[in-house]
Amino acid sequence: MMIIMHPGAPREQIDAVIAEIEKHKLSSHPIFGVEQTIIGAVGDGHYVAKEIFEALPGVLSVQRISQPYKLASRQFHEQDSVFQLDGFTVGGTEVPIIAGPCSVESREQILEIAQAVKEAGANALRGGVFKPRTSPYAFQGLGEEGLEYMAEAREKTGLPIVVEVMAVSQIAMMEKYVDVFQLGARNMQNFNLLRAIGETRTPVLFKRGMSATIEEMLMASEYIISGGNTRVMLCERGIRTFETATRNTTDINAIPVLKKLTHLPVIIDPSHSTGDSAYVSAIAKAGVAAGADGVIVEVHNDPAHAISDGKQSLTPEAFARMVKQVKAVAEAVDRRLVPQHVTA
Amino acid sequence: MMIIMKANATPQEVEAVIAQIKSMGLAVHLSQGVEATIIGAIGETHSIPTERFEGLDGVDIVQRITQPYKLASRQFHPDDSIISLDGFNVGGNQIAVIAGPCSVESRSQIIETAIAVKEAGASALRGGVFKPRTSPYSFQGLGEEGLELLAEAREKTGLPIVVEIMSQVQVDVMVKYVDVLQVGARNMQNFNLLRAIGETRTAVLLKRGLSATIEELLMSAEYILAGGNQRVMLCERGIRTFETSTRNTTDINAIPVLKNLTHLPVILDPSHSTGHADYVAAIARAGIAAGADGLIIEVHPDPAKAVSDGKQSLKPEKFAELVKQVGQIAQIMGRGLASVQGEYSPLKQGWA
Repeated sequence: MMIIMHPGAPREQIDAVIAEIEKHKLSSHPIFGVEQTIIGAVGDGHYVAKEIFEALPGVLSVQRISQPYKLASRQFHEQDSVFQLDGFTVGGTEVPIIAGPCSVESREQILEIAQAVKEAGANALRGGVFKPRTSPYAFQGLGEEGLEYMAEAREKTGLPIVVEVMAVSQIAMMEKYVDVFQLGARNMQNFNLLRAIGETRTPVLFKRGMSATIEEMLMASEYIISGGNTRVMLCERGIRTFETATRNTTDINAIPVLKKLTHLPVIIDPSHSTGDSAYVSAIAKAGVAAGADGVIVEVHNDPAHAISDGKQSLTPEAFARMVKQVKAVAEAVDRRLVPQHVTA
Repeated sequence: MMIIMKANATPQEVEAVIAQIKSMGLAVHLSQGVEATIIGAIGETHSIPTERFEGLDGVDIVQRITQPYKLASRQFHPDDSIISLDGFNVGGNQIAVIAGPCSVESRSQIIETAIAVKEAGASALRGGVFKPRTSPYSFQGLGEEGLELLAEAREKTGLPIVVEIMSQVQVDVMVKYVDVLQVGARNMQNFNLLRAIGETRTAVLLKRGLSATIEELLMSAEYILAGGNQRVMLCERGIRTFETSTRNTTDINAIPVLKNLTHLPVILDPSHSTGHADYVAAIARAGIAAGADGLIIEVHPDPAKAVSDGKQSLKPEKFAELVKQVGQIAQIMGRGLASVQGEYSPLKQGWA
């Protein structure tokens, strides 16, 4: 950390900062310039809040040099994290594809889509049963009934299931059913929920908040990892910008930036990051070309009548075409899709 | 255009809007709902500003249904525009790779870079001689001397040259030298400059403004097209967002959105859109996978000593690797790199 003092800050203020640095078991390195003094705080300072120094008299600004997260950082864990899910690995050479509807709407709907996405090449099934909808009047999901249908779909297709958890109170019940917890964008900084998920050993698909920086995302993932749950996949799902032509703006830069900063697998969600089925395939390809470790896509057997996210949902046929294209891109960047296994 | 009246609008106010629509030679479609009256204005509305109705009493919201640009729209021109440059086409099956330094710094620097990027597979050379620098104290470019050096580099390598124009007063001298006029992000809405460029017949690389929407980019292109210059290429170069880990945020969505809305070729600039040499290749691959028609990339023989944009400039060796990777993505998209059709072979080019 670098603590920059106000021009002309008196010696007592500089000494007070040095004393504070040493109190935190860090060593201090003051540089006395012509106009200003800069004090370096050296050591393992990721857990020391910079606010402690910002509040001291005479301090102009505090700059972090090292990252404020540790367990998520590539510095701490040089090798890519690779973990096993049912039938495939994430974070290695294989690029898994997760697909399914925004919401589980009925037993027939989810069973039909599960079968269709499986045939088209999906490796896991998504489907929401608790829905964080912008309007309190919109469909809120089928709850535990939906989980039963998801479990049945898994049994029929062999696809592991990815389901969003919205509250701490849902964890115990959901753990019995799901293979992967999805943490939604709106809950990225719901710290109680993050801590509770960190206590479980269920893998997590962790979505970036709509206005969260990459650093904030890594800090939030640190909550889960520091609880002992190390199987976290990060998901870029578009950020809020001034552009209105698409629902969100895919921060494609986030893919190589995350791959550099962290060892965790990075998944792209082109459905939410564009909001328009016409653009999903192009952005899925772009994501894998940029180095993403997987893709999560919304697929619906009848998008026009979907209860939610119909505009951004692919038909099973369009999804099958997308999978073919993504496969070619994956191979062009020396990766491959998960080999199809025989249905149980 | 749809004019939505306030819930309490009077019949006289509705009549006044109808009269205004008719006076513009447009047809009226009136629909009186339970809560609000909606008036449709039907006809060639792209040239009519929404302000003409927003100012009338009783009007709540005016919504455009058709696009406010015409010549740039795919509706008007369903086939892709193909722009021929010296030796290759942009907008068809060939992927253009424009490369070179941010600024022309010296004769040896630009000639050396030109030869290196040509050897690595570039199809055109970039280099700035008038530089729009954030600080007035930074290097401002070599001016016409730089153009002479670029012309020499073109002669030596055969690469067409892409150079930024900053002001109308530079048009005459620039068109004598350059193959492509680049309009920089900061000048995307310098309308006098756009009109002046529209009068020329030199190809244009129009960069998206830092905080410009896709629609605003297309409206700016329309200025140039309306002047009769049809050879416009659009360039996504990253937008300003809250994210600070990169210089800009590459709006990768803009690639398929633009390919859908317009017939003009779309070029991606991963150097500016990331601001960091480490990320340029990944985003270049992503751009081609998303459907971009070309790339423009900053390359410098010695990035650490570059007078501008060193952090985002690639060394020629790194650039050569990027070209190979991009070539592989282009191939699966059913395309190929310009000027090196099929397999890349520098020796076949005979540049020396």
